[in-house]
Amino acid sequence: MNPPGSLGVLEEKEEEDLSIPVLGPSIHSDNPQERIQARRLRIAARLEARRREALGEYLDGKKESEEDQSKSSKQKEESRLKLAKLLLCGTELVTNIQVATDIREIHRRVEEEEIKRQRLEKLENEVKTSQDKFDEITAKWEEGRQKRIPQDLWDVLSTQQVHCAALIEDKNKLISELQQELKTKDDQYVKDLKKQSDDICLLLERMEEQVKNVMKTFRQELSYIEKAFEIERQELLTSNKKKWERALQAHNAKELEYLMNRIKKVEDYEKQLNKQRIWDWEEYNMIKIKLEQDVQILEQQLQQMKATYQLNQEKLEYNFQVLKKRDEESTVIKSQQKRKINRLHDTLNNLRSKYAKQIKQFQEENQSLTSDYKRLVMQFKELQKAMRHFALIDDKQFREIWLMNEEEAKDLISRAFDVDRIIHTHHLGLPWTAPDFWFLRNVGPISQQQQKSATQILEEVLMQTEEEGTEEAASEAESYLDLPKQISAKTTRKILMLLCDESGFLIESKLLSLLLPLEKNECYLLKLDAIFSALGIESEDDLYKLVNFFLRYRVYHSPSSQEQTSLMSALEPGEKRDLEEQKEESLGEGEAEEKEHPPSPKLIHPNDVLKILEAFVMGLKKPRDSQAPVKLKHVRDDSKDSEYWEALTTVIPDTTQNLWDALYTALEKYHLILTQRAKLLIENNSLEQQNTELQMLLQQYLESKVGDGPSKDGRQAAKGGSGAGADIRK
Amino acid sequence: MQETLVTPTLSVLSRSSTTMQDRSSTAGQASSTGPQPSRPSVIPPPSKSKGWKSGANVRQMRRIIAEDPEWSLAIVPLLTELCIQHIVENFQNNPILKQLLPEHQQKVLNHLSPDLPLTVTANLIDDENYWRRCCMQRWPVCHVARHGGSWKRLFFERHLENLIKHFIPSTTDPAVILDLLPFCRNYVRRLRVDQFLPPVQLPLQPWNGELSDSGSEAEMEQPTGDHYQLRDLVAGLSHLEELDLVYGVKDCGMNFEWNLFLFTYQDCHSLATTIKACHTLKTFRLTRSKVDDDKARILIRSLLDHPALEELDLSHNLIGDRGARAAAKLLSHSHLRVLTLANNQVRAPGAQSLAHALAHNTNLISLNLRLNCIEDEGGQALAHALQTNKCLTTLHLGGNELSEPTATLLSQVLTVNTTLTSINLSCNHIGLDGGKQLLEGMSDNKTLLEFDLRLSDVAQESEYLIGQALCANREAARQRALNPSHFISPITAKGPENPVG
Repeated sequence: MNPPGSLGVLEEKEEEDLSIPVLGPSIHSDNPQERIQARRLRIAARLEARRREALGEYLDGKKESEEDQSKSSKQKEESRLKLAKLLLCGTELVTNIQVATDIREIHRRVEEEEIKRQRLEKLENEVKTSQDKFDEITAKWEEGRQKRIPQDLWDVLSTQQVHCAALIEDKNKLISELQQELKTKDDQYVKDLKKQSDDICLLLERMEEQVKNVMKTFRQELSYIEKAFEIERQELLTSNKKKWERALQAHNAKELEYLMNRIKKVEDYEKQLNKQRIWDWEEYNMIKIKLEQDVQILEQQLQQMKATYQLNQEKLEYNFQVLKKRDEESTVIKSQQKRKINRLHDTLNNLRSKYAKQIKQFQEENQSLTSDYKRLVMQFKELQKAMRHFALIDDKQFREIWLMNEEEAKDLISRAFDVDRIIHTHHLGLPWTAPDFWFLRNVGPISQQQQKSATQILEEVLMQTEEEGTEEAASEAESYLDLPKQISAKTTRKILMLLCDESGFLIESKLLSLLLPLEKNECYLLKLDAIFSALGIESEDDLYKLVNFFLRYRVYHSPSSQEQTSLMSALEPGEKRDLEEQKEESLGEGEAEEKEHPPSPKLIHPNDVLKILEAFVMGLKKPRDSQAPVKLKHVRDDSKDSEYWEALTTVIPDTTQNLWDALYTALEKYHLILTQRAKLLIENNSLEQQNTELQMLLQQYLESKVGDGPSKDGRQAAKGGSGAGADIRK
Repeated sequence: MQETLVTPTLSVLSRSSTTMQDRSSTAGQASSTGPQPSRPSVIPPPSKSKGWKSGANVRQMRRIIAEDPEWSLAIVPLLTELCIQHIVENFQNNPILKQLLPEHQQKVLNHLSPDLPLTVTANLIDDENYWRRCCMQRWPVCHVARHGGSWKRLFFERHLENLIKHFIPSTTDPAVILDLLPFCRNYVRRLRVDQFLPPVQLPLQPWNGELSDSGSEAEMEQPTGDHYQLRDLVAGLSHLEELDLVYGVKDCGMNFEWNLFLFTYQDCHSLATTIKACHTLKTFRLTRSKVDDDKARILIRSLLDHPALEELDLSHNLIGDRGARAAAKLLSHSHLRVLTLANNQVRAPGAQSLAHALAHNTNLISLNLRLNCIEDEGGQALAHALQTNKCLTTLHLGGNELSEPTATLLSQVLTVNTTLTSINLSCNHIGLDGGKQLLEGMSDNKTLLEFDLRLSDVAQESEYLIGQALCANREAARQRALNPSHFISPITAKGPENPVG
């Protein structure tokens, strides 16, 4: 951007250079030639300015190519500078006249002052000289007064006159001089006036010229600026137009595309419409035909209906006639009936009274019957009680008898076993193994293992687990609780505890308050009792089911609702299997224990307990309902009794019996031999004893010369001999 | 007009009912029978012409009447038009304007005659267009811009000036002017009177004027040559701000007499009391009126401590050093911003006293001492004063016989002072060396925008260089005015583009 600036400076220089020569000649505008020169110079300056403007334009053109953007602003800036310069020069040109007049005035003043001073001086001199002369004249008057000679006086007077005349002459001369001066001044004034008017004319001319010039240049500059703006605008317009056209073309293309799409669509739609129309038309025709047919049918029906109507009308008319007649008849009958009604009313009244009476009677009867019924019910209840009592007693008796028999049988069996053992060990020298049958361990009457109530089991479980710490092994061995073996008592307990903790809402609040002072175990027990009663768990099976359910639930890690249903379905067959397993496990005892080693119930999250419970209750509900009546009639099943007893009888198998028989005969034989031998031995012994007694006696006799000895010894010997005989017998 | 107005309205009322009936019947016909060529015969012409005026019907009627070739809307003007016309005609007797609707007001104003008496229009009409018409009618050339852009103000000011100009004391009735006072008091802000007529004299004097000393004699002989006393008038003008007076006679031609151009002591005293009483006065000009030292002192004394005065112009008078001293006193006793003593007889002592007052003045912006004779002593004193002054922006010392010593001091001032924007030293004897010194001073100055050295014997080279520096300063000033935030050097050429673009 420096070039334009420096150019501006250059232009300014030129301007100054030009303006100064203009100043030069115009200063002293006294001289008309100079003024003409000044004007010429001015014209030259103007031409120069025009030339420069053209140059500027050229430069402008150059710049345009360089920078299009700021063309207008540049043009504006240039114009501004140019115009400012023009205005400055113009005002200078105009004020030049004023300045010139000013200096002329100053010159005039200086001159005036000088002239004034000279004039004053002159006047003063004049006054002085004239005063001197006057003094001289006045002095001479005195002189003249002293003259007494008229000749002298006349002389004096004449000289005085001459002097006075000279004085007056001088004055007059002065006056005329001054007047001359005044006249010249007047002329000068007129000249000045003329000059001033000329100046003013010039001033006006210059101003006008200036105004014109300024107007012209302003217009020109304006036109240049406008041109610049126009060009810029044109460019902008063209660029915008191009853009616009491009956009328009794109738009048109799109429009065309859309139009084509639209036409296609329209055609499609038209086709569809036509199709639809044809279809509709066909349908319409069909419907029309159908409807017309319907109409025909309906018309036919209408005809028929009309015919029937006619028929009916005739019939009805006939009927009407008939009915009229009947009506007449019926009036007769009515009167008859009325009479009848009266009669019947009478009878009705009678019957009502009878009925009331009967009601009373029946009420009484009813009361009596209800009392009877109550009594009977009471009796029935008592009977039931008695029956239950008897049943219990029967049961007891049955059990006692059973136990007695069983004891007896077991005694026998044990004896038999003992015998068998003895036989085996002692006689046969064989190792004996005690046969282990289920019925051997059975105590009491055989039943489906009398269902223990859930609470009892609970108690057991709790008690057992309590003891567990001390005698774990023992409890395991003797855990006669028939828990499903995959479930240890421990897990059961834990599950129950969990249940107890989680489903406290099932327990009544009153109960909870009562439970507070109780022991921990009891507390759990009561709580669980309440919970089970709420859940509907009564029997042991239910409890096991519950426990099982819990465990299985845990097996399915995250049981969703679908799995729960599958669990429930699995519950049913699971029961049976449980029973079977129970049997097997009861035989297998310890081996099966925790075969699958159930993971500890700790893994059941407390939060899941409720879900499980819900699923369980849902699953449990159905079987419970069906089983309920069966349970009420608990008929003892004695099918297995005979079997049991049979089994008891055949506790010693036939082979052993045979063995025994054989052994018996052999032993009998052996016994015989032994008895013989015993007899022999006894004989031998007695003989030996006799021998020894005799030896003793002999010895006594030998040793003691006293005589009484042999009597005592004899007795003792007799005694010893009897004792030995007894020993042998044994 | 009253009668003519009444009858049509009545007839309109009576006709409208008939036309209603006509219309309904014709409308029925039109709809039933369609276009009929005999339509005009159906409706009688007079009823039509009246009927159009019942405004509501016009539109419905038009459908039918459009075929009527005689139909014309211009037959009778609208009632409002008539009323407005009437109001305009009787405006002088019964001025109704404020009660009208705005558009009607405008119509009335457009039609009012500019010759209406001022008693009616002065306080009633504010419309510029009306006053513009009044002005254009009376004066061919009107510079409304010189009167604050208000035509009404222009009218009243020029009217009043005219009256004063042609007032002849003791023959013209003073009531002529004073009667106007209530109407123009709110609008006149400036009085510019360039002529005060003297009292009428006996026609035996004229030849006496030929004598050169008759002026002074007339002054002696005729103490009664007083001019119009402005006191009452100025006291009445409550908004007067500018007073521009010339005690002289224009266009006297060959009737020239010295006593026509007299500013008597009586005039002076009365003027002094007048301007003292006028507290709104901001500008006071008394030029070309032969004000000598004594009169100047009387006037200036009355202006001491004036509350509003800002500009005092006593150019083209006969004020000498004493008057200048009085002006200097005024400088320190008022808020004067512009003082013009051009073309007087102030010499060195007067200039020194002015310089003394100027040294510590904080109000004066412009001082004009053109065409005096303060010479180097006065010039030096002023230059010294300018070294401390921080307020003066314009100084005109053209034609004051200044020479090199003053230039030397002024060059020092130029380096120090930052408030001066314009100095005029034209028509002095600065000389070549003085010019060089001024150039040196200019090289350090960044604020001066105008420096006139024409015809002061300065070398062209230094004048040119000074011109260059001024140009630079002007550019910088322009930059500052455009964006006062940053002061960049003027010829970086980026500068001018930024504010433009």
